[in-house]
Amino acid sequence: MDSALTEISEFIQAIPPMDLLPSNIIEQVVKEISICYVRRGQSLPPEGIVEANLYILRKGALSYVTENDELLGKYSEGDICTAFCLNNDDKAKVTSDEDTLLYSINYHNFHQLVSEYPDVLAFFQQTSEQRLNKKMLQVNEDAILNSSLLNSSIAHFCHDPVFTVSPDTSIQQAAILMTEQGFSCLVIVQNDQLLGIVTDKDIRRRCVAQGLGIEQPVSVIMTDDMATIDIKSTAYDALMMMTQKHIHHLPVTADSQLKGMVTVTDLMNNEGQNAINITSIIHKAKSVDELIEISSMIPKLQIRMAKLGTTADHVGKSISAITMAFTIRLIEMAEKLLGPPPVPYAWLAAGSQGRQEQFAHSDQDNALIISNDMQPQHGYWFKDLATFVSDGLAACGFIYCPGNVMATNPQWCQTQKKWSQYFAQWINTPDPKALMHCSTFFDLITVYGESNLLEQVRVKMLKKTQSSTLFIAHLSRNALNLRPPLGFFRDFVLIQDGENKATLDLKHNGIAPIVDLARIYALSEGISSVNTIERLKQAAGTPSLTKASAANLIDAYEFLSMLRMMHQANKLQKGQQPNNYLSPKDISKLEREHLKDAFKVIKTMQDSRQSTY
Amino acid sequence: MLNHHPLTRWLFGYEAQRKRMLKRAPEGPLRDFLSVPFPPLYTPLNCIPILAVDFETTGLDAVQDKLLSVGCVELNFNQIKLGSSYHQIINAKGSLKANNVTIHQITDDQKDQGQPLAEVIEQLLKRLAGKVMLVHFARIERQFLRQACLELYGMAPPFPIIDTLVVAKRRLDKRDVAYDPSELRLLALREKYDLPEHYAHNALNDAIATAELLLAQLSERSKDLSLQQLIL
Repeated sequence: MDSALTEISEFIQAIPPMDLLPSNIIEQVVKEISICYVRRGQSLPPEGIVEANLYILRKGALSYVTENDELLGKYSEGDICTAFCLNNDDKAKVTSDEDTLLYSINYHNFHQLVSEYPDVLAFFQQTSEQRLNKKMLQVNEDAILNSSLLNSSIAHFCHDPVFTVSPDTSIQQAAILMTEQGFSCLVIVQNDQLLGIVTDKDIRRRCVAQGLGIEQPVSVIMTDDMATIDIKSTAYDALMMMTQKHIHHLPVTADSQLKGMVTVTDLMNNEGQNAINITSIIHKAKSVDELIEISSMIPKLQIRMAKLGTTADHVGKSISAITMAFTIRLIEMAEKLLGPPPVPYAWLAAGSQGRQEQFAHSDQDNALIISNDMQPQHGYWFKDLATFVSDGLAACGFIYCPGNVMATNPQWCQTQKKWSQYFAQWINTPDPKALMHCSTFFDLITVYGESNLLEQVRVKMLKKTQSSTLFIAHLSRNALNLRPPLGFFRDFVLIQDGENKATLDLKHNGIAPIVDLARIYALSEGISSVNTIERLKQAAGTPSLTKASAANLIDAYEFLSMLRMMHQANKLQKGQQPNNYLSPKDISKLEREHLKDAFKVIKTMQDSRQSTY
Repeated sequence: MLNHHPLTRWLFGYEAQRKRMLKRAPEGPLRDFLSVPFPPLYTPLNCIPILAVDFETTGLDAVQDKLLSVGCVELNFNQIKLGSSYHQIINAKGSLKANNVTIHQITDDQKDQGQPLAEVIEQLLKRLAGKVMLVHFARIERQFLRQACLELYGMAPPFPIIDTLVVAKRRLDKRDVAYDPSELRLLALREKYDLPEHYAHNALNDAIATAELLLAQLSERSKDLSLQQLIL
């Protein structure tokens, strides 16, 4: 082709979605171009053009505003203005901010040229939500292809049959059976009912070490308070349960019937250098120094998972699981040092760890909930525990919480009763300070100890939030303080008032607004989950959130989290501190389009929240 | 520079000349060209049918030097129609001077693959019929085109021309402030109007660049202007 048109072709071909077109189609698209010049302050379409057209900016700038002059977006060099593609009744206006050179293309002719390229057509025909959904479907497919245990069903890991014996089988007979079959555990069953489990360890600790007769029935040494997992769960769920309960064998059930057994080894063999492996080493660590050494693997794991195409959700869960393992191990060490707890308690994780959305180098947000039987003199034990664990976590790279949301802070080391009072107070008097605490403490989970302590508080709390419209209204208004940007203008982030910023704060301008929205839906619908995606899934179809909106928010959340994960992985790989700030220069044109779509989804949901209250 | 006063007589001159020559012109491309009337002088700016043209040549002398390539594109209703673009390398006699090759980047090999002058001029006249020719610095294009017509048809027709250089110059002259003549170069003027950089010294590319420049120049002029105020 003529070199003049080659130059224009290259310009066009670099712009998504045109990059999906082969050069012979691009050549034909170029032939459809009419070059127009629009003087500053004039509105589009240019004089003399009445038909539906798309406009590609070669030079200059355009503003896209509503009927009421509210800025919707700006276009600059290399942007495609689709506002006039379809002759719709959109009342929005486009005016030029600078003298602008435009490539205008008749949309009807363009449509015919690219009719065999559905991905290109989709760009012009689909809504933001549809485009984002498509992008995330593709991301998720990739993740499944690269899948690890995090999204594999437990069915792929568990083995059957499981050897079962009746409770009156002797310990020796059980041991012989285990040796013959090469199993490290047996399940005790009576009349199709699961009674308990017996492992190698039980025989050693509860029989041999105690001098118990081997002719005794196995039921004497079995663990009867047995944890089981449903076959529909993921391997990740199994990992979480094993980490939390500190067990290595987990019977798998379907409709309460024993189906198989999954062990830590099963999960580990499948993964090599991975989250499970790390959690398992953590359990075996004997000193804080050893833990510190292990902690250096977390950034590497995060890089590896990100590069493998794991979704941000899975990375967040893995890192959270590892933090949990560190915390549990440190608590165990502390208890060994301090002696057993004077009264029941639980160690809680708040914020991103609570939501299981943690990335490497997050700060620690934690708290203690203690039985109401606590006496004043017990305070020392808990203070020592908190100090030991918190210092240990800090040594392992989880920096102290700048807001002092830590178990070492007496305010957050309280009895169950006091916690209930806190929540009641925050809900009844939602002043700014209370609302600030909401984002942290409404996302609590139990890491170690008596989980009932927190769950009882939560049940009461959710009952209150559901009926307190005033509280939800305040929370909603507060959440609207963080607004997503409008899009991009040249190499800048374009915000609401038309100002430009040099960097995009993925956390505050994208992820946090969705986390806040999800929390509001959960609290108004009495949903106990704290993980953002889980909250959105459960809120879907309730009066607070339509199913379609939930799906859109999940797509937007996953996309933003993925960008953040990739950005952080790149930083970590360069040995830099990961952060949430992305320079538009580092975002491809295509990613910018997807980001704009995500911002639009957030804005739509925030606006509808605003109109509700 | 040609004296363009009085304007009215000038244009009557073009149309009158065209009609006179039409009677004498031989059958063929030139006659076809002459049989289409030029747009009248009072045609409003945005309705003038324009063909932006650029030549690459071996030198500045229309008699001694050769025409190497022709590029052109239509400009109608303030829109440059890329679908109408035409670019052709001419198979001229004689080999290329080395120092010129670096400017226009047409090598001997490419030139040999070009078309004969007669065919290229025929194509150009076909596109130019009934239109105003747009060039930047008219001297080259006018002289080479006249020379080619003289060689091919024994006579050179009139060509109404808009010259972006002259449009810019008239404006600068009006301000009565001294200026550097280099400000009138195509690249400099495009930069002044914030037009994008372009790959210069390709005939079609320069034709498009000239057309874009005219759009920018016209955007700051009153819409009531007509061909009369623009023509050379």
